[in-house]
Amino acid sequence: MLIAALRKELLLQWRSRAQLLAVFVFGAAALLLFSFAIGPNTEALRQFSAGFLWLGLLLSSTLTLSESFHAEMENRALEGLLLLPASPRAMYYGKAIANWLQLAILGAFLIPVMVVLYDAGTTRIFSLLGVIALGTAGLSAPGTLYAAMTAQLRAKQTLLPLLLFPLIVPALLASVKATSLAILGDPMEQWKAWIVLLLVFDAIYWSLCGLLYARVVEE
Amino acid sequence: MTGVVTGGWEFVWAAYGITAVALFVYGVTLVTRLREEVSRGLRERQRQ
Amino acid sequence: MPETVRSLSRTPFVLIGIGVALFLFGSYWGLFISPPERFMGEVQRIMYVHVPTAWNWMLAVLFAFFCAIAFLFRGDLKWDARMDAGLEVGSLLAFLLCVQGSIWAKPTWGVWWDWDPRLTSVAVLLFAFLGIIALRRFVDDPTKRAIWSSVATVIASVDLPIVYFSVKWWNSLHQQQSTPETVSSVFYIPLRVNAFAIFFLMIGFIMLRSRIAALRLTNEVAPPPLMAEQAGEMA
Repeated sequence: MLIAALRKELLLQWRSRAQLLAVFVFGAAALLLFSFAIGPNTEALRQFSAGFLWLGLLLSSTLTLSESFHAEMENRALEGLLLLPASPRAMYYGKAIANWLQLAILGAFLIPVMVVLYDAGTTRIFSLLGVIALGTAGLSAPGTLYAAMTAQLRAKQTLLPLLLFPLIVPALLASVKATSLAILGDPMEQWKAWIVLLLVFDAIYWSLCGLLYARVVEE
Repeated sequence: MTGVVTGGWEFVWAAYGITAVALFVYGVTLVTRLREEVSRGLRERQRQ
Repeated sequence: MPETVRSLSRTPFVLIGIGVALFLFGSYWGLFISPPERFMGEVQRIMYVHVPTAWNWMLAVLFAFFCAIAFLFRGDLKWDARMDAGLEVGSLLAFLLCVQGSIWAKPTWGVWWDWDPRLTSVAVLLFAFLGIIALRRFVDDPTKRAIWSSVATVIASVDLPIVYFSVKWWNSLHQQQSTPETVSSVFYIPLRVNAFAIFFLMIGFIMLRSRIAALRLTNEVAPPPLMAEQAGEMA
């Protein structure tokens, strides 16, 4: 059932792949703009590159997440799907995993932009990708739940970030720290603590949001 | 002795003042909102 | 029997009265009777209002959290009204904590905001609660509003310890700070009196605020008069 729900979501996303491209361009533009806030100071830009990458990813994620219920809202299909035998939980996890994949791909594509703009090259590309995967998982679990709530409201563009941003502070903090350690070097082996924090955050919210989602969409 | 903070009464007064004013103003808004809601309920009952 | 302002319970007003009296007494003690602290000097007196606010803020957050859980299990809208009150009073106390905390930080550490894990967690939860209060304004259906905001409240409250530990780790590398002593017997009286003062004020506020929320709910749920008349004609 989960597989079916996930397949449906991935198919939907594949059809709207132009949107992913647009969000990527948005994120890259944000990264470009951040460097103007610092000025052409290569050392400072490299120092803050991890923070900028995650802020760019966070801003782009609100676009991805708020669009993720677009198809259902358009055709009032959320009610229709509730009539199907598919459990809301399977629907939620399908959607959340699809959002996670999309955000992780987005993050992976933003890495080269960061490397070029901020001179933030690193050889630890796999640990960087791992952090992106864990961090975007932390964004997508609560993000998908809040997107389901706010998709039906007038002020969804404002409310989704308003609800999501304070919540993901720990995930953002840990991701920025871990990314920064991967780029700038990690002489004291601190990355483990941040990865554990990300894992705990992901575990808590992937289970809690799955539990609560059924209540959010019930009629 | 180093590290001793001297003076600073203006900070103390600011902290107590803001706290007292904020609590007072909030209490007043509660009473006005309560009155509003009660009279709205009365109006709607009279109309029925 | 229609409800008027006079027919409402007096209890919250009595509690607020007790709270005000205690607050005046405790603050007088803290400001004029207690001696200045050895290291912090006069600035220490901010703690007599800051620490009690912090204790009561935690109670308000716990209250909102339990109301949210109770609503999700019971489905009774009275829990929604209480949670509404807890969210608003909790936000008020969190705001006060941030203001008092920065007033304390300036003379102590020279900066208004020094990324203390406790204060930063309060600020994060303040924004989370403000987001939920904003969400409530945009949902017209009372049941949906109650479910969504209790789900959001549960999610935000669970976040509090994670935020605290993450900021603590994040900050631990760049400075260690000592906590001024607040348990010594000289400082005991104003601290405890103000703790009860703000506690009574908070309970009174929460009772009044949930009263307002409950009245608002009945006013919302009551059918508009026109429709009631039409229904009468049809019958």
